[in-house]
Amino acid sequence: MWGAPAEPADSYYQIRPECTDVPNTRFKIKPGKTLSVRKWQAAFTQEGFLDMGKTLNRIQRGGIHPTIRGEVWEFLLGCYDPKSTFEEREQIRQRRRSQYASWKQECKQMFPVIGSGGFITAPVITEKGQPILDPLVLQETNLGEDSDFFKELESRGPLDKKVIQWMLTLHQIGLDVNRTDRTLVFYEKKENLSKLWDILALYAWIDDDVGYCQGMSDLCSPMIMLLEDEADAFWCFERLMRRLVRLHMLFCGS
Amino acid sequence: MAFHSEDDKSEDYLFKIVLIGDSAVGKSNLLARFARDEFYPNSKSTIGVEFQTQKMDINGKEIKAQIWDTAGQERFRAVTSAYYRGAVGALLVYDISRQQTFQSIGRWLNELHTHSDMNVVTILVGNKSDLKGIREVPTSEGKALAEAQGLFFMETSALDSSNVAAAFETVVKEIYNILSRKVMSSQELNKQDPASLSNGKKVVIPSEEQGESKKGGCCST
Repeated sequence: MWGAPAEPADSYYQIRPECTDVPNTRFKIKPGKTLSVRKWQAAFTQEGFLDMGKTLNRIQRGGIHPTIRGEVWEFLLGCYDPKSTFEEREQIRQRRRSQYASWKQECKQMFPVIGSGGFITAPVITEKGQPILDPLVLQETNLGEDSDFFKELESRGPLDKKVIQWMLTLHQIGLDVNRTDRTLVFYEKKENLSKLWDILALYAWIDDDVGYCQGMSDLCSPMIMLLEDEADAFWCFERLMRRLVRLHMLFCGS
Repeated sequence: MAFHSEDDKSEDYLFKIVLIGDSAVGKSNLLARFARDEFYPNSKSTIGVEFQTQKMDINGKEIKAQIWDTAGQERFRAVTSAYYRGAVGALLVYDISRQQTFQSIGRWLNELHTHSDMNVVTILVGNKSDLKGIREVPTSEGKALAEAQGLFFMETSALDSSNVAAAFETVVKEIYNILSRKVMSSQELNKQDPASLSNGKKVVIPSEEQGESKKGGCCST
């Protein structure tokens, strides 16, 4: 609506009432300036080609309405080509979702806490790959001392170096998940915490050059909030990381 | 640096002190409590390195403690040599409610000794002493380790502020005492042999000279 007053966006990202020192966002939804749902939908042709130029212009001037941020960011991060059709994108989406599911299965087999709704904050193996039965882990997960996981770990023989490296990052990810955007109501739900943990753990597995580095949880968190589907959030994060790695190469050459 | 001037009331001392220890033991909140009397229950993990300078009064002298805080994750060790360079004090922090963080202390000590002078004044700090119900590391164990390694020891809580200022002050006071003794002995030396300083002898403050191990790390060129 033209002439309607700008609406603050705080109600979309609720802060826990006891967190009183969090500054309000300066972003305001400005009618006529902010990219609205209607304007966004109108930017596509019937087949699904997106007029990116016009859309970018609007985003730059007034930002994106919170309800469509996820789908807009998928284009901004390069998950999808604006010059593709709805149908082509749907196919890519489904393919990526099943790819994610199979990676998740792979990780779950190595470490059954993946996808279980929980996560860990203490190491489960030593650097040499010996199992550690930390009471904290036993308490955080449903892995008992005599669980199949630890039994198998004992019998599996020497673990692959890549597997050890990966397992050693899992509790680090957990420690950071516990302190990522915790002023938000969103993270009062345990399932959102474990979602963040799952995605970061999976990423560390498929990109073992980068693995997990502190700060990545802060980058991944908005993806989870904006995209409801876990796999979709993962792929946005994957694109973001890809860009960052490329930038790093460009400026630091290492 | 004119540590031997007679009227050193106007002198500024700047001591670099580093905070080290595993991830999420409370290094940043110890610093926040000490420097600003604040505590953030929802604080994020530290990325890279941050530091803060805090003025202190020791024996009527104004001393600036420059406290460096770093990410606890192993892979940030790439910037280690820069982090430890010139440090004269260290707070080696673990979390009394997580045994694992106490077990890492040996590794942190090694790292400290590799990258800095052996004379770095070090205090072992068992943080989160308010978490009495879920304590995993008994006070006696911390004390015993500190004694064996020749470290100061204190249990602190950044949450309820107990012992936080005391821990930092212990380190700063000791550095100051060492420094004063060195200044005095060099003055003694001066009186006996006025030529000694011009002979190229100099006051050595801890950790001014140290081996630099070169490591190719993130963004190194």
